[in-house]
Amino acid sequence: MFPPISLEILVLALGFILLLAESFSNSTNKRGLAHIAIFCLGWIFAISFFTAPTPATIGAGSYWNFYSGDGVSLVFKRIALLTTIGVLVLALDYEAALAKLLPSAHVGAGTGEFYILPLFTCAGLMLMASAVDLVMAFAALELVTISFYVLVAYARRSHASLEAGVKYLILGALSTGFIVYGITWIFGLTGETHFTKVAEKLAHLRGDDTAILFAFLLILVGLGFKVAAVPFQSWVPDVYEGAPTPVTAFLSVGSKAAGFLLFLRVLEPFLGVHSILPKVLQVLALVAGATLIFGNLAAMPQNSLKRLLAYSSIGHAGYLLTAIACIGAGGGLLLGVGATVGYYLFAYMLMTLLAFAVLTLVSVNSKGEEIQQFNGLSKRSPFLAFAMVVAMSSLAGVPLTAGFYGKFLVFAQIIQAHHWVLLSLGVITVGAGFYYYFRVVAAMYWHDPQETAPITVAPLSKITISLLIAAIFYFGINPNPVLSALRTSAPSVAAAAH
Amino acid sequence: MNPLTLNHYLLASGLLFSIGFAGVLLRRNIITIFMCLELMLNAANLSLVAFSRFHIGADGLPNYNAQVLVFFIITVAAAEVAVGLAIIVALYRARQTTHVEDLVSLKF
Repeated sequence: MFPPISLEILVLALGFILLLAESFSNSTNKRGLAHIAIFCLGWIFAISFFTAPTPATIGAGSYWNFYSGDGVSLVFKRIALLTTIGVLVLALDYEAALAKLLPSAHVGAGTGEFYILPLFTCAGLMLMASAVDLVMAFAALELVTISFYVLVAYARRSHASLEAGVKYLILGALSTGFIVYGITWIFGLTGETHFTKVAEKLAHLRGDDTAILFAFLLILVGLGFKVAAVPFQSWVPDVYEGAPTPVTAFLSVGSKAAGFLLFLRVLEPFLGVHSILPKVLQVLALVAGATLIFGNLAAMPQNSLKRLLAYSSIGHAGYLLTAIACIGAGGGLLLGVGATVGYYLFAYMLMTLLAFAVLTLVSVNSKGEEIQQFNGLSKRSPFLAFAMVVAMSSLAGVPLTAGFYGKFLVFAQIIQAHHWVLLSLGVITVGAGFYYYFRVVAAMYWHDPQETAPITVAPLSKITISLLIAAIFYFGINPNPVLSALRTSAPSVAAAAH
Repeated sequence: MNPLTLNHYLLASGLLFSIGFAGVLLRRNIITIFMCLELMLNAANLSLVAFSRFHIGADGLPNYNAQVLVFFIITVAAAEVAVGLAIIVALYRARQTTHVEDLVSLKF
């Protein structure tokens, strides 16, 4: 059995070795790097099943105060690893488009780091999943964010990519400022940075409600930017549209998963403060409702599929926030919410990666990311059209898909909390979702193709897409493997809430 | 006699944070905006050091956790500047501008 930290060390070592290999090799063909990375990440994913969960022990040694290798964090680490593998497969498909947008002497010469930087993002995501201390969470979050800055602005000849990079940079740094200031206030109130100790101290503070609420709001603003909650969502459509497509997929899955995980961890200490709990839940419900409405309604008139997916990602953040807002009075319910959010993020990863995989292949072959490019896809490539149908059905929440079960868990949570306003908003927005997701399906099957050249799918992409389709159905029918992994190992999460 | 209390430091840091935030919202030059963002991070650093100085533990020493966090923030800010300025330079080379009004190619 390996300790969980070995996974992060392996991913980081892999990243550094590949960076060195990239700079010392003369070959202009960088695709080998991506293949090595995918192969090694696959092995690290396999190793993750042979790790012994080691919950954090306070005061044991300096290092273990920062890091918890509990079962929930292992699930999130696997999500991070799978996402990175998927993104690298997408990046290989995208190479033809990316090579034209780089100022390099040979075609494909500058693409090496495009395959390596995702590894560092992945390491950051994995470390964040294990962070039980504000310092560690902050450092891991910044590892993720800074490597995303580079990836978003990677296509340096594309004005859209640079512009998206600058927007992401400014708003990312702004949210960092808010999070850091919030952490400062939490430290000022409690004198601690460890989540469990912060929770203990906060629960026993008397008469400092305004200061606690202030700290909570600062963190909420900062994390609101990261998870794209209304009113901090304005950067999402532009950045998603401008970034290279595989990076958009990574942003929408990885950045969201990281944000929500951190959100849950930071929220726990505040839930123990009973005097401000009603206000905290009110603010959360307000943000969740606004995010649901905005994301789903603004997605309806979009013509670019990338922008549509951007708004849909805001909408999905709305469902996740809704689940969190329905935590209820007792901290014990957090167990359920943690599992709901974890499962939803897992399902979201599967279906978003699938949608972006098809989008990458179609856009590279037909020079555009509008929904029109999907017209008649069923004739050009029945396989891709079917994959897109599965992705869209799952995103909309058709029964027997993973997306449906995720939404089912969220709605169960809302009903448990008797939150009828959010319930009606949820039902309406799911209806809106059916409309805009199935516009894509209609375009693929009922419209005539603008181009008739069939799209060829590389074997590796074909395998990945098939696996994603199978996983969406398998975990939609039998969600227990993921849920039990999230639930059985939750005690360390729950313990922190008390 | 020590006339400076924790409140003075917190006020100064709050002012720095507000100036930085206002600058991000109001300024139109990306470099200036970036400087304002650094100001916000430094506001957090100032209040962290102040909190550390005034949280005297049982052993009579300040709480050094906060000062360690300050070093992390400084390091992260430096990394952010390195990457950020590189992106801004790349933008300037491509577009010959560093003004936010000119960043309008992504609109629907």
